[in-house]
Amino acid sequence: MSTTTDATAAGFRPLMSPNACRAGYREAVWSEWTKFRTLRSTRALTAVLGMALPLFAVIVAATDSLQPDDTILGASLLGGAVLAQVLAAVLGTLLITSEFKTGMIRVTLAACPRRLVVPAAKATIAAGVGFVVTLVSGATAFGIGLAMLDGDTYATGDAWPALLGVALAIASIAVLGVGIGTVVRHSAGAVTAVIGVVLLPGLLAPLLGDVQRWLGGGSLNGVMQKLTQSSDATHESVGSLGAWASLAVVAAYTVTTVLAAVWVLRHRDT
Amino acid sequence: MSSAAAVGVPTALAVVTVCGCGIRLAGFVRTVGVVIEVVNMTKRYGPTLAVQDLSFTVLPGHVTGFLGPNGSGKSTTMRVILGLDAPTSGGARVDGRPYVELPAPLRAVGAMLDARAVHPGRTARDHLLGLARSNGIPTARLDQVLGTVGLSDVAGRRAGGFSLGMSQRLGIAAALLGDPGVLLLDEPVNGLDTEGIRWIRGLLKALAAEGRTVFVSSHLMSEVELTADRLVVIGRGRLIAEATVRDFIDTHSQRLTVVRSPSSRELQVALEQAGATVELDPSGGWRVTGPEPAAIGDLAHTHGIALHELRPLRSSLEDVYSQLTATSVEYRAGDTGADMEPQEALR
Repeated sequence: MSTTTDATAAGFRPLMSPNACRAGYREAVWSEWTKFRTLRSTRALTAVLGMALPLFAVIVAATDSLQPDDTILGASLLGGAVLAQVLAAVLGTLLITSEFKTGMIRVTLAACPRRLVVPAAKATIAAGVGFVVTLVSGATAFGIGLAMLDGDTYATGDAWPALLGVALAIASIAVLGVGIGTVVRHSAGAVTAVIGVVLLPGLLAPLLGDVQRWLGGGSLNGVMQKLTQSSDATHESVGSLGAWASLAVVAAYTVTTVLAAVWVLRHRDT
Repeated sequence: MSSAAAVGVPTALAVVTVCGCGIRLAGFVRTVGVVIEVVNMTKRYGPTLAVQDLSFTVLPGHVTGFLGPNGSGKSTTMRVILGLDAPTSGGARVDGRPYVELPAPLRAVGAMLDARAVHPGRTARDHLLGLARSNGIPTARLDQVLGTVGLSDVAGRRAGGFSLGMSQRLGIAAALLGDPGVLLLDEPVNGLDTEGIRWIRGLLKALAAEGRTVFVSSHLMSEVELTADRLVVIGRGRLIAEATVRDFIDTHSQRLTVVRSPSSRELQVALEQAGATVELDPSGGWRVTGPEPAAIGDLAHTHGIALHELRPLRSSLEDVYSQLTATSVEYRAGDTGADMEPQEALR
């Protein structure tokens, strides 16, 4: 063994004390928000998500394609609901799969090595963006419906707290995207999986007879139908569970997926 | 700064300060800086044993080269140190604790594993900003590190358009962001041009001179020889050597002297009579193994032979390394126990 050089004698003095700072959840959320807003692709996707509900509200109202027993609320929000769900799911998924694709995930996990922190921070951003964008765009869509549709022909529907519920539902699917993206890692596979979660219940449930209302009731679209008091939300198609209880079911499997993602990050090499 | 100070609990601060002084006064200089300790690390990927019972320590104040052929387990070792891959057994400590327990890792350890691990759509500055936020690093550091690596002019350009050399510089900027006491760089010279290579050599030496622990992997022996003063050499996931570059070469090289004389035939006879091995050197003189240069000079004098050149020839690190790894591969093909030999010889 050789001796240490004189240079070491002084010891290394960092500019910033390593103990004066933390790399915890708050810093990770701050970091994920920075990453979110500095990418053109995520900004564009968010903008499209924000336009989905109002755009379809205009189309539905302009074509007057409502059932007599529909509410203005349901008509304004459900047209773009599936598109909004898909976009939110893709947005959430890409937050994490883009990091796996570029190898950036190693940089991220080296900066925040505790495995709960990164998925939790990404889920926070996905949920926050999904919630705020949907609350604003949902309210806009409802406003468009009120302005364009005849309030005497159709019932208005109770907008509050339904809009809040819709925003929570979209936030939830965005978080589900983060969870599935973490587990699947590849963008294409994860996007396919999460779109499957959005669309398959609607496609499969009618084929399953009595099981339909169970599947429909726990599906995101079922939740949206119930929340917006749509005429589509029949007992046969989405079951008798209340709107908020159904939302809780969606939230529960979203949280489960995120926990699975944390488990996977802990137990898999990156 | 000191490993003791890393406790960082406010109530413990007074005690820690006292300890820090004690350490300095007692002269245990090495404990002041941050070390990387790899302890009995084994990493298995399915049936493949990537790293096997690897132990070494990387000291502050030095550039330590991490040498091994491609696929010898260098990157695996670095990933385990950074807590990215879980070791099958054993493990690594930085500043006395596992990496995942560091309160703000970027402030303690700056790492670059893969220069291309950047989202191509993000600008260089935004990439660094996202990282800075994650560890509460002041944004003033961004322009400092961008300046250090020479990327100030392209800070607003998207990383997707960067050349490999620019990406390497961005990766190094990211590693320097938290002003860490430990730097862990995987093949940092890759893709750099001559000017860039010279720059990084100077940078690494300067960082080590500040008392930092600099650990740099490479498969380019010639590069390590110019930059590093200590070495950790692995082959097939096992430690081959842990030594200073000088000791490593001294231990494993053969002593050669190149000697030229107008009476070359007489000189050859005299040398061979004295027991030296004499071969023709490509330069035209004799390549002598055995006696020291001084002894050769004396011998020539006694025989009245004029010398035109008397030049000791050190084996380069590259020579020693290829010899040694070739040996380790041979040993591996046969008895497993035997490949401990070169390692033992060094210690």
